Amino acid sequence: MNKTININLSGIIYHLDEGAYENFNLYLNAIKDRLSHEEGGAEIVADIESRIAEIFSMRLSEGKRQVVTQEDVDFIISTLGRPEDFAEAAEETETTQTETKRRFFRNPDETVIGGVCSGIAAYFNIDVVWIRVLFLVLLFFTGIGFITYIILWAAIPEAKTTAQKLQMRGEPVNLGNIEKKFKEFEAQGKAFGKKFKNTPRGFFDFITNTIGAILGFILKFFGVVLAIVGSVIAFTLIVALIGVFGSTWNLGGFDFIDINGYIYGMDGAQALFGSGWRLMSLRVGTLLTLLMPLFALVVFLAKLFGKSVSNARLLSFSGIASFIIGLILIFISAGSLATDFKERSTEVEKITVQGNSLVLEADILEESTGFLFDIDDDQLRVENVRFNIERTNDSTAHLELKHSASGRNHAEARQRAQRFDFKTEQTGETLRLSEYFSVPEDALYRGQDLKVTLRLPVGTTVFLDPSLENIIYDLENVQNLWDGDMLGHTWIMTERGLDCADCPVIEYYSAEDLEETIEEELEAMDDEIDRKIEELELEIKRLKDR
Amino acid sequence: MKIENTKAQMRKGVLEYCILGILSNGDAYASDIIEHLKNAELIVVEGTLYPLLTRLKNAGLLEYRWEESTSGPPRKYYSLSTEGKAFQKELKSTWDALQKAVEHITTSN
Repeated sequence: MNKTININLSGIIYHLDEGAYENFNLYLNAIKDRLSHEEGGAEIVADIESRIAEIFSMRLSEGKRQVVTQEDVDFIISTLGRPEDFAEAAEETETTQTETKRRFFRNPDETVIGGVCSGIAAYFNIDVVWIRVLFLVLLFFTGIGFITYIILWAAIPEAKTTAQKLQMRGEPVNLGNIEKKFKEFEAQGKAFGKKFKNTPRGFFDFITNTIGAILGFILKFFGVVLAIVGSVIAFTLIVALIGVFGSTWNLGGFDFIDINGYIYGMDGAQALFGSGWRLMSLRVGTLLTLLMPLFALVVFLAKLFGKSVSNARLLSFSGIASFIIGLILIFISAGSLATDFKERSTEVEKITVQGNSLVLEADILEESTGFLFDIDDDQLRVENVRFNIERTNDSTAHLELKHSASGRNHAEARQRAQRFDFKTEQTGETLRLSEYFSVPEDALYRGQDLKVTLRLPVGTTVFLDPSLENIIYDLENVQNLWDGDMLGHTWIMTERGLDCADCPVIEYYSAEDLEETIEEELEAMDDEIDRKIEELELEIKRLKDR
Repeated sequence: MKIENTKAQMRKGVLEYCILGILSNGDAYASDIIEHLKNAELIVVEGTLYPLLTRLKNAGLLEYRWEESTSGPPRKYYSLSTEGKAFQKELKSTWDALQKAVEHITTSN
């Protein structure tokens, strides 16, 4: 089945088949172009059109046909002559060959996947290899090459006709060039050692069929690989979508896929964005941004299996549009969220601790997710506890809890800072701390943190259990040990600070080691003495000057 | 210098005279004129003729009238105007003189 196009020549309608129309239109336009500068050009064109009409009519009635074909157009061209012949006899007018505007097309003659790279190469008139390398680099280093390729594939039309192929390369579309192209194809055809029909369509068919067959094979091979990759991406996107909408439509507990990270993460979004319009805006925004890769994937997979998506262009444009709208929604949501962190407030709470020989432990949270906060039933579990030990002049030890939280205004921050639940428990001499604190879910996560300080009077001893490792934070001590090294030892509070009661004395491994250490210390002492002398000399000078 | 160009120039030079000559024998439709010229191998393609006919008509040497056609659109029938007839006669005497002169020069050498 061939498409025909209707044209009107001198008041008579002719049906031209598509390829014939393409060439005829070029031919007539070339003639019009030639004659446009001449006096009476329009009249000459009308005469010519009427002559063409006559020839068409004659040939159609002779052949008892309805449709004008390429052969008829060829006949016209051979009878009337090339456009150059129409120029007024002796005056060989210099026809300025204006560089025709290049247009973006995909190049169907040089394709690996969709001819996007070779189309770009033709547009910029550079070797296709560079474009391909660029895309591969983008693909492997950022993955953006993939998305870009898909979008371009969907958005850029393929150069189907010879005229479009010429436009793709920026060559002027005229009969001479078209014939040149035909000849190139003919030469290529001969190189294959095959005979061709004289009509240009034959060459095209052969070439596209050959390429198609080879491509088809390659595509099927890579298609399977790509389809698997595509399915994984699609699956991930769907999972992400479920996550985004999970708790809004009460799918939060839907744990059929083991993707706790996603569900929790998205519940986390609710803990951060609340349940108002901001969360909705975030979710809709995320969904919209995800639509683009999803659409692209649909188009890509369809193409892979040889099914053309009729509205691929619409799909890709709406994908881009929704991506942008989605980003805007996310930004609005996040921007509004930022205002909730404007003010900060701190509440202090004191708990008395009994005894002067303490053992300190922490409840290790087994199911810690590593996130800043986590959802636990209807509570937010925040793992932001910092533990410190300081000296007090009071006679008894006590724990000081400093809750801090942010809010839109001071009152809100203060109210939020009061809504804390931190578990401490003393049984005998053992003081148990929790690794986390809880806030009600509706308080939302607003940078809540907790500083726990154990204040000890001088002479109190404390054993630091290794379970404290996650909350111990920058403890000052006489030995100047790192936090981690302090664990598992007993410490005593002295006037100088915490002193280790059972830390092993540093052992030297060899005599040289010890000598070196002594030397270093002597040097340090020398330096100190020099400094002191200098200081005193300055003082003496100052006093003398007076 | 290409021989083809020179040949084409020569043909183009006498083309106007030939058209007028054909029409002096009676009115003719454009494709009749073309037929004559093609048979005489003065032109190869029709395209050359249309601008020329229009130019001669615009110069007042030709007149035309529309005639219905059974196959296709109406046709233009060309005829010489009185001015065209005079023009043709003058060209004829020039041509005859030229022909003799050319013959004389090319044969006497």
